[in-house]
Amino acid sequence: MELSGEEKKLQALFSELKAADEQTTPHFGATWNRAQSAPRRIRIFNPAFVAAALLLVFGVVVFAVWSRYSRTATSPQPVIATAPQNPGNTARAEAPPTPETPLPQSKTAVVLSRNKTTGQRNVMLSAANRKLQKDAKSIASWTSPTSALLESPSDEIFSSLPELNQSATQLKSFLPSRSN
Amino acid sequence: MKTDRIDIAELKEELEKLHSASFGWALSCCRRDYAEAEEVLQTVYLKILEGKARYRGESSLKTWLFAVIRKTAIGEYRKRLVRSLVFLGSSERHDTGVSPADAPTTLLEKSELQKQFRVALAKLPARQREALHLVFYEDLSLSEAANVMGISIGSARQHYERGKKHLREWLSHTETENGIVWRRKETPSAV
Repeated sequence: MELSGEEKKLQALFSELKAADEQTTPHFGATWNRAQSAPRRIRIFNPAFVAAALLLVFGVVVFAVWSRYSRTATSPQPVIATAPQNPGNTARAEAPPTPETPLPQSKTAVVLSRNKTTGQRNVMLSAANRKLQKDAKSIASWTSPTSALLESPSDEIFSSLPELNQSATQLKSFLPSRSN
Repeated sequence: MKTDRIDIAELKEELEKLHSASFGWALSCCRRDYAEAEEVLQTVYLKILEGKARYRGESSLKTWLFAVIRKTAIGEYRKRLVRSLVFLGSSERHDTGVSPADAPTTLLEKSELQKQFRVALAKLPARQREALHLVFYEDLSLSEAANVMGISIGSARQHYERGKKHLREWLSHTETENGIVWRRKETPSAV
């Protein structure tokens, strides 16, 4: 590359700069040895690894929570409210006999909590049964608001039958009491 | 393992030959910061020792080494920038006590023109400065400079030409200024 006048000047300036730099260049051995003795940076906390670990832990926690809640949501038996066939039996059904046997100390808490849930369930069941009984009664005693319109004075005649050994006057009573 | 050691030994010899030029290039990449350049060069050697930077013979050793130095300098600069952003206010940067003004290079400056030349060089855009340094200071061809800078030869030529134009302008301006000064010094009563 042929250099022009100004380029030669630039080249001279750069050469001067280079000469000055060469005088101040650190010794190769010193730099090399420092690099050799420098502590190797081993990345213990690799950001990608940390992120993956955190994600994994989060996933495990979410799964644990989900499985716990899903179990508690499905475990209580749905209360099937059936009409009691024999009302007398309901009282028996409400309070099932619990065997009162002595339990070991370690299982006491578990048994207590189980009894508690059973009691709650029984209370719910009895409440449902009571409601059902009430509904059944109200349905049985229901009368139509227009039933009065269907009533007539001759209903008695149709509802009772004259007997053969009755007298004529008595038989007259079955006739409609009209003056004309 | 044995071959690795031999390779490293051979490489060390070659690196020693290129050490001075490497330091000059590191200085240019670190905006003439002596301490930073030394740190960058040390990091480069560490990279080579750890095998993070491997010479595969795809280009000349000088070109490869210069490219590694450039990348390392950019990386170090970015790290420093991030650190300064994180620790805003508190100057985290360790002060080596060698400021650019007191650096040995500056102390050894012989001429006023050289001082001004360095200022003008520092004012140039990084790519232009790099292209000029690689061609004028390191005597590399434009294609080699492009290789080091990781750009096409066309782009390298453009940066080189623009940088040269800027320096030419600066040179003509300085010469005129110096001429006036010198004339004043010669004949102080003339003005």
